[in-house]
Amino acid sequence: MKAKINYTEAFEELQHIVSEIEQGEISVDELSEKVKRATELIKLCKNKLATTEEDVNKILTELDTATDEEEDEDD
Amino acid sequence: MPEKAGDRSIFSLHEVSRSIQKTLTERYNSSFWVKAEMNKLNYYKHSGHCYPELVEKKEGRVIAQIRANLWRDDYSRINQNFLQLLKEPLKDGIKILFRAKVSFDPVHGLALWIMDIDPAFTLGDLEAEKLETIHRLQQEGIYNRNKRHALPLLPQRIAIISVETSKGLADFLKVINGNDWNYRFFHLLFPSLLQGDHAAPAIISQLRRIRKVKDHFDVVAIIRGGGGDIGLTCYNNYELAKAIALFPIPVITGIGHATNETVAEMISFSNAITPTKLAEYLIQQFHNFSVPVQEAERRITELARRKVISEKDRFEGVLRSFRHLTENNIRLHYGEIRNLSGSLRQQVKFRMKYENESLQVTKRAIVKSAGNLCLQAGTAIDNFAVHIRKDSKKQLGHHSAVVSQLRQKLDVHSRLAVKEKILELKNVEKNINNMNPVNVLKRGYSITLRNGKVIRSGEEVNPGDIIHTTVFDGSITSIVQQSTQPDHES
Repeated sequence: MKAKINYTEAFEELQHIVSEIEQGEISVDELSEKVKRATELIKLCKNKLATTEEDVNKILTELDTATDEEEDEDD
Repeated sequence: MPEKAGDRSIFSLHEVSRSIQKTLTERYNSSFWVKAEMNKLNYYKHSGHCYPELVEKKEGRVIAQIRANLWRDDYSRINQNFLQLLKEPLKDGIKILFRAKVSFDPVHGLALWIMDIDPAFTLGDLEAEKLETIHRLQQEGIYNRNKRHALPLLPQRIAIISVETSKGLADFLKVINGNDWNYRFFHLLFPSLLQGDHAAPAIISQLRRIRKVKDHFDVVAIIRGGGGDIGLTCYNNYELAKAIALFPIPVITGIGHATNETVAEMISFSNAITPTKLAEYLIQQFHNFSVPVQEAERRITELARRKVISEKDRFEGVLRSFRHLTENNIRLHYGEIRNLSGSLRQQVKFRMKYENESLQVTKRAIVKSAGNLCLQAGTAIDNFAVHIRKDSKKQLGHHSAVVSQLRQKLDVHSRLAVKEKILELKNVEKNINNMNPVNVLKRGYSITLRNGKVIRSGEEVNPGDIIHTTVFDGSITSIVQQSTQPDHES
């Protein structure tokens, strides 16, 4: 399995696998591998729906320490 | 009346004031309509009266300024009209068209007595201000700036600009925290006023704070609700609208009102009529993610199963046709083999028969040849036997003659040989008689023995030994007295 992917990539890869399978581009030999990968991706996506990792204290600390960012009007 | 002091008439301040008051009252005896900017309302809660500060500006500079009086009852009535029509109270910084009289009070000086204000004029002006904000944003090319951001697939981390006690906030949190799908959001409140003149700078200030920690958030939600439709012109404020447009992550609004959309709502990434709807919008984003995931799960399961079944079917099909073909083939070859084996048997039979026949022929030929050969051989043997008989008689006769001759020769020769040998024997006999010991003894010789042994030397006897001496006619026994022996030279 490649390095940790974010949920957006997981979502896209999952869609890709579905379309691959739907278009019959996957042989029976690859199928098991693809299904296994899809299961991992689904798990990752479902997990993302149900959890967040933000920490209020960390944000408040950053708010206190960060300097005012220049409002860049051309962004 | 003025005091006289020399050539001077001296008026008291009160007299002057009264005079001005009288003049002005006579001159401005009726009311008239004036338009002006109400810089400050200057409402006094205690008395209920207002003392608005009216100005007129030209190119940013004040070119006229005058104080006004708005008495409690008038204020109350006019304010109601405003709230009805503009959804805004009378407030600082609006343009008004008012009916007034010039009033002069000796103590308070010159003022315009505001008797009525036309809310329609202010409405038009506010509308114009709103249009102006929109126009400026468009001119600067930032009107759609916030809309162009990409909302993350899961707008999960929300920076909320609201008031802790807002009913709108409560509605919003109820939806996102208590959703039935176990969707999880993270949110942090950045408290701000949400209506009235101070709302715009307060919101801008919080936006500035959020900007510092924007990496922790997916979206900013401006949430208001439960405050009626009053005091929302702040959302048409150019500075606020600009701050939202230029914000680096999507800003969504749920301000909750029934009147026309404000500029802030227009330019925000997404706007919902109420905080509840805004929360539902976010939930929908989660659905948009979750449903395809579930669909993918379902599709993959189904397709994988179908694929396996179809492969199984295909395999079984191949197997069936393989079996079918094999069986056909076997059947086909079985027939062929049976035919071949039949014809082989037939051919073997023919061959055997043929070979048998030729054997018979050969056998007969051999028998016949053998018979002939035997006949010939018999004749030859008979001839041979006749020859043998004839030959052997001849030979026998010949050999008998030879034998008779040899027998005669043998007779003659053997008789001569015997005569010879007898003569020889007579000579030998004579010699032997000469050598006989008896004849020796006769001549005087004797033989001496000791213990049966012939004594040939004096050494062989010692004095005292008994010795026997044989002579021709008897024997003598003696005891040795002495023996000698020749000296041996060697």
